[in-house]
Amino acid sequence: MSQANRRQITMLIECNDLNYRYPSSQANLFRNLSCRISIPGFHALFGPSGVGKTTLAKMIAGLVEGFSGKITVHPDTGILYTYNLERLPGWSLAKDHLADITPHDRMPDLKKLTESFGIQGCLESRFSKLSLGQQNRMNLTRYLLQDFNFLIMDESLANVDEATREVIILQIKQLFPQKAFLYISHNVMEVAKFCKIILVLRSADKSPQITEIKGQNQTDQDIPDHPALEQTMLEIVHAS
Amino acid sequence: MKNFLKKLIPLAMVVFMVIAISSCGQKNGSSSVDPINYRLKWLFNISSAGDLWADVNGHFQRQGLTVNIKPGGPERDAIRELELGRAHFGVASADQVIRAVSKGSPVVVLVQLFQINPLQWIYRPQHVTIESPEDLTSKNIGITFGGNDETIMRALLSKYQIGENEVNFFSVRYDYTPFYKGDVDLWPIYRNAQAVIIGKRLQEANDPIAFFDPHSAGIRFVANSVVTTQKMLKDHPETVKKFTQALVSAWIEAMDPTNTEKVIEAVHHFDPDTSPEIIVEQLKITRDLTIPFGDFEKGGQFFGKIDLAAWKETENMMLNQQLIHAPVNIEQYLNVWD
Amino acid sequence: MLHRRLYQFFIVYGIGICSLFSIKYILNLSDYVIPSPIEVWLTAVDVFMRYSVNVLDTLSVAIIGHVLSIFMAIVVGIIARLTTGIGTLIKIAAFNIQAYPIVAVAPIIFILLGDGLASRLLIASMICYFPLLLSILGILTQPVSDIEHFFQMTGRMTWQLEVKIRIFENISKLIMVITGSATLAMVGTIVAEFIAANAGIGYTIRIALYQSDLAKILVALFIIGISTSIYLVCLEWMGHMLQKKWEG
Repeated sequence: MSQANRRQITMLIECNDLNYRYPSSQANLFRNLSCRISIPGFHALFGPSGVGKTTLAKMIAGLVEGFSGKITVHPDTGILYTYNLERLPGWSLAKDHLADITPHDRMPDLKKLTESFGIQGCLESRFSKLSLGQQNRMNLTRYLLQDFNFLIMDESLANVDEATREVIILQIKQLFPQKAFLYISHNVMEVAKFCKIILVLRSADKSPQITEIKGQNQTDQDIPDHPALEQTMLEIVHAS
Repeated sequence: MKNFLKKLIPLAMVVFMVIAISSCGQKNGSSSVDPINYRLKWLFNISSAGDLWADVNGHFQRQGLTVNIKPGGPERDAIRELELGRAHFGVASADQVIRAVSKGSPVVVLVQLFQINPLQWIYRPQHVTIESPEDLTSKNIGITFGGNDETIMRALLSKYQIGENEVNFFSVRYDYTPFYKGDVDLWPIYRNAQAVIIGKRLQEANDPIAFFDPHSAGIRFVANSVVTTQKMLKDHPETVKKFTQALVSAWIEAMDPTNTEKVIEAVHHFDPDTSPEIIVEQLKITRDLTIPFGDFEKGGQFFGKIDLAAWKETENMMLNQQLIHAPVNIEQYLNVWD
Repeated sequence: MLHRRLYQFFIVYGIGICSLFSIKYILNLSDYVIPSPIEVWLTAVDVFMRYSVNVLDTLSVAIIGHVLSIFMAIVVGIIARLTTGIGTLIKIAAFNIQAYPIVAVAPIIFILLGDGLASRLLIASMICYFPLLLSILGILTQPVSDIEHFFQMTGRMTWQLEVKIRIFENISKLIMVITGSATLAMVGTIVAEFIAANAGIGYTIRIALYQSDLAKILVALFIIGISTSIYLVCLEWMGHMLQKKWEG
């Protein structure tokens, strides 16, 4: 069992009977949706496009209102939500921006993260000059330097190649063992392999709309268990 | 790009010219002058009382003419419209006529509407005393730079040997506030039009008014006249004659005191913003300026007379002030009727 | 940039004046209606310097009015984006007020402020202020979510930062709007001078109109065109430099 799994598990977010419909739509996006997210843990929200992953994530982050049901959040939870299209302000160099937004006591982490994410060479550049993959990593870095307990990563590494993505996820799990993450991705193998709990979201006409599947929650010290991984992937595919 | 421009430039010129030329009416030399377009100098008001009377009472129809009377305005120039063929007759001030003639415009004066120029200067006798032109010295005098009031005032000062540095000129426009506030002592005004309105307003406020009349001081600067082109006169003499006769007869009727009520009604119909009470005053003054030979019975027949001496004096004033560069012999452009 | 603008202006002016002369000779019009090329040339020789000074006078008022209106539009734009209610009110007011023709409002301004610099300045500002305000309101009230999201999530967002982000992201559009409104400022000043002021090229044109002297007006238009082109080029250049410096 990894170090993270040995820690005490606390319930962080509880969603009960959520019902939601876009203002311009007749059909419900969520119907009596309930789920739970615990801390610590690197979790995933998985599901086909258009099923409402981003909307659910934004509801949890408090960015979407107008739904019925209840979302209970641990009182001291600092929730951050980040997505892959975010940009840094164009008027300053990446290093200046990171220096501006990094709390003083997190400065050592800044160096560590930029090194492990492979973006040290990008610090002298402006955001617009970076590749899409570098932009994704730069954006995620600044979120990881903030005070948070729960970080929702909405396709935050969508433009990063698979190998680098694995490195980054493993780094995050190693560096933030006491935090909770909700990783939104379409990559079934990735979520099965690295995530602790995979919340598989389906359309509102299916019941239950969301299913919890236990992932392999692999760390850089674990030896891959291929049959178990295949089993988890199969479960995810069946649930979705 | 250069090839494109080479094609575009002549095309743009052709389009511009076609639009401009097609917007010009038929030249006066063409066979048809029906309907006749008659462009006034200003908006419909008391200064076009006779023109409006002719329209209302069928003077043109009786001569077999169909006439569209079109109001003028600050940016309208009847002489330009005559040349461009958009009008057949028009009303223009003498300085406009002389300027046009000096630049080769084939214009002819048919009827001199005002025997006395209605342009005068209003002042408040409680604040300034003007008993003679010499009293203008050291006064703040409103003038429209570039307007005929400037020419008149400069001629007057010259005649009475008052140096322009002995008076203070104040540039005026439509807003009378500087006069109301007392910043300006004398303000140029059309005696038969705005003067009645402004005067009434000031008198209601117990602020008496008076007028300084350059004509009384010996400055004879001709005001509005009816004009056409030499070509129109040559090609359509009968039409010109009928139009002139219709217009003059209408003006004489309009100035006849026995028609006062009907004239007020006609003018008010075209100028609804001016009350009949004001128009009645305006009409009295207009009568004195168009037929200044004592009473109407004696002078009515002289309406429209071209005052050759006054025209020559007007030309001289403009020449002296270098508004024209050489004499134009204006008498050659005045069509004196028997 | 400058030579291109001037080149464009010369082409337009050249087409216009050549067409006028062509019409004059085709329709056999006198010099009173359309002056001859020689008269235009002699008038230009006679009045060029004086008119240039007048145009500079007008241009300086237009520039001050333009700067004032930019400043005012940004300030009002910032206030308007603070709350939706005030923003909507200001937008509606801006739409309604700009619908008034300035020539109708100008006499009231001259009554209140006289015919000096203040009236010219106000009218110049007014004529370019409202289109500017509407554009700036559009820019400042339109969120740039991809950049603002981080600052909102982390509680770092301030109104200054929000304005900075939105201006930065729309800088090209803003430069275009400001350059476009410069022409309006010039037009506004000329209109003001034409209606009631006692100085500037608009006033000079007014006098030339009283004297039915189209040659003077053609010369005035030529100098106005050149001056406005130079001003526009300066604005474009400043915008370009600002953008280059800001965007790196």
